[in-house]
Amino acid sequence: MSLSIQDVLKNKGIEVKQAHLNVLEARWENMKALRADLKHANIDDADIGVRNIPGGDHIE
Amino acid sequence: MSKNLLNLSVEELAPLLKNQSISPVELTKEVLGHAERSQPQINAYMDFYREDAEQAAQQAEKEILNGQYRGMYHGIPMALKDNLYFRDKKTTMSSKIHENFVSSYDATVVENLREAGVIFTGKLSMHEYAWGITNNNPHYGAVRNPWDLNKIPGGSSGGSGAAVAVGSSVASLGTDTAGSIRIPASACGIVGLKPTHGLVSKYGCYPLAWSLDHIGPMTKTVKDAAGLLEIIAGYDKNDPTSINRPKDQYLPKVTGEVKDLVIGINEDFFFNQVDTDINNLVRTSIQKLVDLGAKVETVKIPTLQYAEWAELVTSLSEASAIHHSDLQKRPDDFGDDIRLLFELGELPSAVDYLQAQQIRRQLKQDFQEAFKKIDVLISPTLPVAPNTIGDDFVDLNGQQVDLIDNIIRFTGPANLTGIPALSVPCGFKGNLPIGLQIMGPAFSEAQLLNVGYAIEQTKPLQGKKPNLLLHS
Repeated sequence: MSLSIQDVLKNKGIEVKQAHLNVLEARWENMKALRADLKHANIDDADIGVRNIPGGDHIE
Repeated sequence: MSKNLLNLSVEELAPLLKNQSISPVELTKEVLGHAERSQPQINAYMDFYREDAEQAAQQAEKEILNGQYRGMYHGIPMALKDNLYFRDKKTTMSSKIHENFVSSYDATVVENLREAGVIFTGKLSMHEYAWGITNNNPHYGAVRNPWDLNKIPGGSSGGSGAAVAVGSSVASLGTDTAGSIRIPASACGIVGLKPTHGLVSKYGCYPLAWSLDHIGPMTKTVKDAAGLLEIIAGYDKNDPTSINRPKDQYLPKVTGEVKDLVIGINEDFFFNQVDTDINNLVRTSIQKLVDLGAKVETVKIPTLQYAEWAELVTSLSEASAIHHSDLQKRPDDFGDDIRLLFELGELPSAVDYLQAQQIRRQLKQDFQEAFKKIDVLISPTLPVAPNTIGDDFVDLNGQQVDLIDNIIRFTGPANLTGIPALSVPCGFKGNLPIGLQIMGPAFSEAQLLNVGYAIEQTKPLQGKKPNLLLHS
């Protein structure tokens, strides 16, 4: 089942401006196309992309 | 005399203030008067602090007369971008939603500048919530480029760029999440520095995207930027992204000496799809550095091909998280352009966001590898010249291309990696100034400023000023 952008946002309690729908869909398609290229990216499952700084905000 | 004062940089004004040739009161009066007179054309200011500024100027005058000169920025009138908190003053982010927001405390950078003796003349307009690059604000009107009033000043720190260029603020601060210091710096013919992430505290700055936001100088000259960075850089326990390292001195390292400097050029990304005139101007500036003894190396940075996606997913997601509740409750109070971006930012998944962070880490490693071979990486700041206000498309070698997608192409990677990046003027395309971007390894601000100074010494703007400044 594939939800429309309008439905996805409605489920989050966000009312999309009707005039935005076409642009929103076009921009989202562009982002999906950019994402598709990621299959060529040399990232490994073990590559760590986020950090957990122990004990607080700063390492003193 | 007044025209001269408005034309002077901080590095030129500071000795005059120190030796009491001019007074902070006189200078502040000139700058504020000019700011008010140019407001109908430029629209750079959100708010004027005339009374406060006059009092602060008198205080500065008294201190200087008593021999208590605090340094380069003592007695310098400055206005700041309206997303930096001033105690008991409105900070609106140039938005309707925050139109009456009053902070109970100063941002750390504001506190730093107060201690340095800066005189605050007011707050400067910005693209709403810093989420855009035109500064065509639906609530407070468009800011205009002082070099051509029909053109955008760039954004989101467009008020800061326009005000410094036209002399209605002697220097300023901007914020930069995908290029928002460097874009208006380039468009307005001034210097803009996005420092290393964590070097300048963001405490008391309304966020756009936490992991990409930076605060930095926007100034008339490179030495002004170096002096301003010395004041605002430093560890702040209130900012979780602040980095605790010894304070650096930048001004003494700005000499213009570039012999044996290794300049990196990345043709695949940073010189791809660039306006021909801009391309020529940047390459001419690089050649001038070579004539001064620098060398050029070409470098590959493979992960740059995924940078646009990672930057988009990261910035859109973080910005939409911040504004999620207002997007649900009062969407009509956002400008149309940023409402659309907030809607778009609700669409990426958590997996998208986390994979974008993996790309970000790999991109950082690629840059680190490149910087083992080169000292700095030079590119155009923008691939296109500033467009006409209200136009969503811009000319790129005869083709009309999307403005937003193109204008942040070369600035975004430095936000994603956190490395410092400086924009300095390198010439004109028609009547509009063009910027050149210098990037370097983390905490290499002194090096970037020095290279920027070497370019500045070649007089790329040929002494030209915006007409509004010349005829003030």
